Amino acid sequence: MSTKSPTRTSRHTLISPSGTQASRRAGRDRKVWLYVVPVSAVFLFVFVGPLIYTAWTALHETSYYQIGKFSGLNSFVRLFSDSDLPSRIWTTLVFSLGALVIALPAGLLSAIVLNNLHRFKRSVRSLFLLPWLMSQATAGTIWLWFLNPNYGPASAITRSLGFGPTDVFSSPTSALVAVTLMTSWWSYPQAMLLFLGALQTVPGELYESLKVDGGGIRHAFVNITLPHLRNTIVSVVIVLLMLYVQMVTIILVTTRGGPLGSTETLSMRVYNQMFDKFDLSGASATAILLFAVNIVLTLVAIRFRRKESL
Amino acid sequence: MIKKRWGFALVTAVVASLALSGCSPSTPQSEGPVTLNYWDFLDPSQANPRSKALKENVANFEAANPDIKINLSVVSLGDMLNRLPQAAAAGQAPDVFKMYTPVVPQMASAGVYSPLPDAASKVTDWLRPTNALAGPDGKQVAVPYEYRTCALYYNQKILSQIGATVPTTYDGVVDVARKAAAAGFTGFGTGFSDSDNSAIIGTFFDCFMTQVDQEMWNKDGQADFATSKGEEFGNFLTKLRDAKALGSNVVSDTYGTVADGMASGTVAMAIMGTERAVSYASQNPDLKWTALPKASTGDTTGTTIGWTLGIGNGSKHTEAAWKFIEYMTGPEAAARMATGGEVPTRAATYQQPYFSSPEAKTVNDIAAYVKSNSKPRTYSSNWTSLARGLSQAGQKVILNGSSGSDFIHSAQDAANKK
Repeated sequence: MSTKSPTRTSRHTLISPSGTQASRRAGRDRKVWLYVVPVSAVFLFVFVGPLIYTAWTALHETSYYQIGKFSGLNSFVRLFSDSDLPSRIWTTLVFSLGALVIALPAGLLSAIVLNNLHRFKRSVRSLFLLPWLMSQATAGTIWLWFLNPNYGPASAITRSLGFGPTDVFSSPTSALVAVTLMTSWWSYPQAMLLFLGALQTVPGELYESLKVDGGGIRHAFVNITLPHLRNTIVSVVIVLLMLYVQMVTIILVTTRGGPLGSTETLSMRVYNQMFDKFDLSGASATAILLFAVNIVLTLVAIRFRRKESL
Repeated sequence: MIKKRWGFALVTAVVASLALSGCSPSTPQSEGPVTLNYWDFLDPSQANPRSKALKENVANFEAANPDIKINLSVVSLGDMLNRLPQAAAAGQAPDVFKMYTPVVPQMASAGVYSPLPDAASKVTDWLRPTNALAGPDGKQVAVPYEYRTCALYYNQKILSQIGATVPTTYDGVVDVARKAAAAGFTGFGTGFSDSDNSAIIGTFFDCFMTQVDQEMWNKDGQADFATSKGEEFGNFLTKLRDAKALGSNVVSDTYGTVADGMASGTVAMAIMGTERAVSYASQNPDLKWTALPKASTGDTTGTTIGWTLGIGNGSKHTEAAWKFIEYMTGPEAAARMATGGEVPTRAATYQQPYFSSPEAKTVNDIAAYVKSNSKPRTYSSNWTSLARGLSQAGQKVILNGSSGSDFIHSAQDAANKK
């Protein structure tokens, strides 16, 4: 009796060429886990874990940083019955959309200028990037000094022009306008870099063809530049909006949310509840609300992206 | 075979550990060289007299106690209030830290303090009772490090220019402030910013409530000062507003900006802590200080406030920490701090030769004033909410034109808001 059965022989011959490929594929598949596992572990550790902990905290009574007994949805009931909440949401919207409305065109304009510059490109780019190279705390402190009504350069300028001292942080409206402008000033280089990258992918021939056809700068912008940047614009809008919705440091350094809560966005409210009022469960509930706002923004972005790809 | 080896190793380890524990002394070991983490808002690297005195005190303590090193971290009060509860929750509170008197019960409720060791009860010559410096269980958690109270500061040059004398009542303050404002000065300096824990308005309010004999909390620890006496404070602010005597930036002004305005001669009057007397004397010779103006009760007695020292929760070196606190509040170190204008808290300190010297005149005057014109208060565990409420109520007085009654009710509601 032969030790090599026909079946085994045929299986062996079948495995040889394609079986090696399959085992290689399996090996590659196993290697994928080498990448997936650490990423998943980090994701669980820095995102899912804290998120669950925040939700857990929101569902419990807290005293300073000690978590007490289960309190159900009490902190959410407190959050949604707070008469200040609508104004905080309104402030968040005004601040985020206001900063976006300024930073988006400023970033686009700077990117177009840089893209068309042939001399001193590096110097101008560094100059444009300067605000973003500072930390938010540094940017806030510089503006706080600049606008100080007693010794700030802005006051010296307005006084020399015959106006009074600058006093932007003493009135609710001017304080909100000021922190919005500061934030857009600090963040517009981020938009500029993204736009610059996208602008460099627009084929130069298109502009040349348009020029031959007698098209001007406006036609080039509307018919070539904007269509090519459409996806980038959506990305920039989402990235900046998320940045603004979560912004704390500049507001913290300059106004801490005042006067009269006029600059207290939802993020700033989380900070104040957590570190000023030591209300951990209340801060967690607001943080969950903030997270929901961010999810909505992300879904809107995905929706826009899908539409773009059709 | 492997099992046998593991078994042998385990038995050896157990025998060794038992032998070692048998050899160890039954009495507790001395602490040996320790490093104490100490948080203070003063920066010893600065050139001012208080910082210099602190630096010398730390160096002298280390020289006298070679086994104890002091690792000093400069942390502002605002940062301390944020960081201490977190640090305590994480078991990383500093061994020793300085704290503003009104916030001691709040920090004690946050579990920031270790109870003071029994040795602390042997020090009995504090100039003011220390029972208010206690946690929720009534145990003392801190000792006084420096005393201060409120005083009326005025710029003599401005008052002479407008032909005014130093006011002795709050209505008089409003009149003089009105005249000073008409002459282009800030008539009365105060600030409603909450960015520095509402330091200036909080301190003033605290003293004023003592002047009008108004308790700030009820038995349950709830803010309870919206009475006719409390309203007097709000009315004083609204009168100043109506007289256009407050600074144009009062909404965003802080303790620091008002102090700068006093020093630079743009503010006619302010009510601030007595600790400013020494620095003002060197910054601007026109600045003088006097007792608080009389309230409706006719009283000029404010609140004894100041700074305290306590031991952080979880400190592994409580004995060494107390040794350091005892030294820092003791005669030698406190006399050195007095050279920078700080008022010592123990009777023994005043026996030091410095206090008989002519250089000590200002500090002796302040100490006598604190003794005669202030009394301590028991605080509840929500001082920061109350102080923020006062700032925001002050902002409403300016921005919304609210009344004195609105002010006091708004501040009380904010203090009690969960």
